[in-house]
Amino acid sequence: MTIISRRNFLQAAAGLVAATGVAGRPSVASGSPGPGDLATLIDCTLCDGCVEHDVPLCVSACRERALEKIPDPVRPIPEPFPRGQIEDWSERKEVLDRLTPYTQLYVEKVDLVIDEERQTIYIPRRCMHCDNPACATICPFTANHKYPNGAVVIDKNLCFGGAKCRDVCPWAIPQRQSGLGIYLHILPTLAGNGVMFKCDLCYDHLLEFQVPLCVAACPRDAMIIGLRRDIFNEAARRQDRINGYLYGKTENGGTGTVYLSPVPFSEINKVIAKGPGQPHLDPVTRRLARAVFLEASVLMSPVIGTGAGIAAALIAMKTRGTDRGKTREKSTGKKDGNLNNDG
Amino acid sequence: MMADGIMEEDRNLIRRHGLTELIEHWAIAISGIALIITGLLELPIGRRYYITEIPGFSWAGDYFITLSLHYAAAIVFAAAAFFHLFYHGLRGDNALLPRRGDIKASIAVMKSFFGKGEEPPFHKYLPEQRLAYAGMALLIGLLILSGLIKTYMNLLNPQLSRVIALMATWTHNIAFVLFVFAFIAHLAALVIKPNRPLLRGMFTGSVRLDYARRRHPLWVEAVEGSVTNSSIGVTGDEEVLAGDIEKHAGADSVPSEHRERGTGFETSEPMEKES
Repeated sequence: MTIISRRNFLQAAAGLVAATGVAGRPSVASGSPGPGDLATLIDCTLCDGCVEHDVPLCVSACRERALEKIPDPVRPIPEPFPRGQIEDWSERKEVLDRLTPYTQLYVEKVDLVIDEERQTIYIPRRCMHCDNPACATICPFTANHKYPNGAVVIDKNLCFGGAKCRDVCPWAIPQRQSGLGIYLHILPTLAGNGVMFKCDLCYDHLLEFQVPLCVAACPRDAMIIGLRRDIFNEAARRQDRINGYLYGKTENGGTGTVYLSPVPFSEINKVIAKGPGQPHLDPVTRRLARAVFLEASVLMSPVIGTGAGIAAALIAMKTRGTDRGKTREKSTGKKDGNLNNDG
Repeated sequence: MMADGIMEEDRNLIRRHGLTELIEHWAIAISGIALIITGLLELPIGRRYYITEIPGFSWAGDYFITLSLHYAAAIVFAAAAFFHLFYHGLRGDNALLPRRGDIKASIAVMKSFFGKGEEPPFHKYLPEQRLAYAGMALLIGLLILSGLIKTYMNLLNPQLSRVIALMATWTHNIAFVLFVFAFIAHLAALVIKPNRPLLRGMFTGSVRLDYARRRHPLWVEAVEGSVTNSSIGVTGDEEVLAGDIEKHAGADSVPSEHRERGTGFETSEPMEKES
């Protein structure tokens, strides 16, 4: 089993190599670390929200990286025509109670009363890294992509900030910072509106055989990362042990993030803050699953067209042969009249 | 005279396209227009540009709906394109394939539209039609190939190599822009008056025989002579529909005159005025 947390950080590099099969491999075209999806388990029975710290350590680590990586937007930020809606978080970097470009992970404190017992649960929220993420597959520029290690990563150099990824994400996770990115060099007021940001599972760290910063920062091993099957097995084991609940394993057709909670997520979902940048915990079905028949038909359409074309050509050639005979017969007895041509 | 004229006009036809070609053309055209619209709506423009607020267009901002419509149109488009390829490929229909000298001839034809020089006599298709066909076929081929890769990624392999995904996406996007331009150019060709009689052919399958004699004498000659040579534009679907073809503008003399003088505009038949 290859499960990595902060405590076995030293083994992590070796473990990750084993998990992703990178060791000794030449670099592959996609730049991915190799085959084998990674998954993370977020164990809400262990997360205590780092109450002794001003900011949970996972959030601090994540934000530090984001603040380093996100350049300052241009001033003034071009006003997108015609709506003029600029999303500028650069003046509100300290916002910690929702997802923003600079806060790609936040921890929500949830107070619940279950069976007359008061319980407090802390839930770190970020991108779920879906198995078939519409945010990536239908990005019009392939700025967003799911890599073979399971990480769904937005390329900030290619993203136009149209927010299609946010629109198709069931949790509306990606967040826009206007005034950045490639759109500034093309049609800044007419097309695009910045760059979308979200958790990328610290993709650059994964490439260097390091675990994501949030996993490394957690003092209670509330987050672990490893091969998907190992993480799912571990999640099931812990679920059985506490008679708990899982979220994320089947949502949106399956994700690379599993939450474990001692209380039903439906109960948590009732009390958590929901709104822009504050994702729900509803059960989620994958909307594009309804288009599977259409997608399969698209892939089959060349075969259908080819088959029909061959059949029609054979029929036409046979008919033409028959007509030729008839025309010859006619033309011997009659000079004018309709003319047919054989090609 | 009026009655005679109408009657004569009724019979003054030559079949240019069979039912199969008409179905192919319109399947590609209608699904292509649907693909252009739904393809544009794959960009985040529906809500931004208030398209969703046009009555009946609230769906335009829902990517799952626009993508499903894009898929539905793509099924028709790709099937029709592959049908076209194999149907005409097996029949050996090559009248629309570019030939040597088409570029030079196209320039001469373009000039003639602006009053410089005369049109040469045409086969079934104009040289620029053959070139445009090749260009459009290339774009359609690229769109279908890249679209199939994208669909494969969406359905079966979301973790496809990013290099392949990027190549497919950007090929699709660039070919899409060029396809829109090509589509506009295709429609713009009908603005040119001498080309307009051809429009009828795409709806009914037939064009006026007097027009064909004047502008496409090499094709008419082949049809009338039952020349078995598809390379000059006879596909086997053509049929002179006039009861008496000799009534129409001296059939025996026109082709040779065209070849000698390079034009048939001097005929007294009522036809589109060339500019």
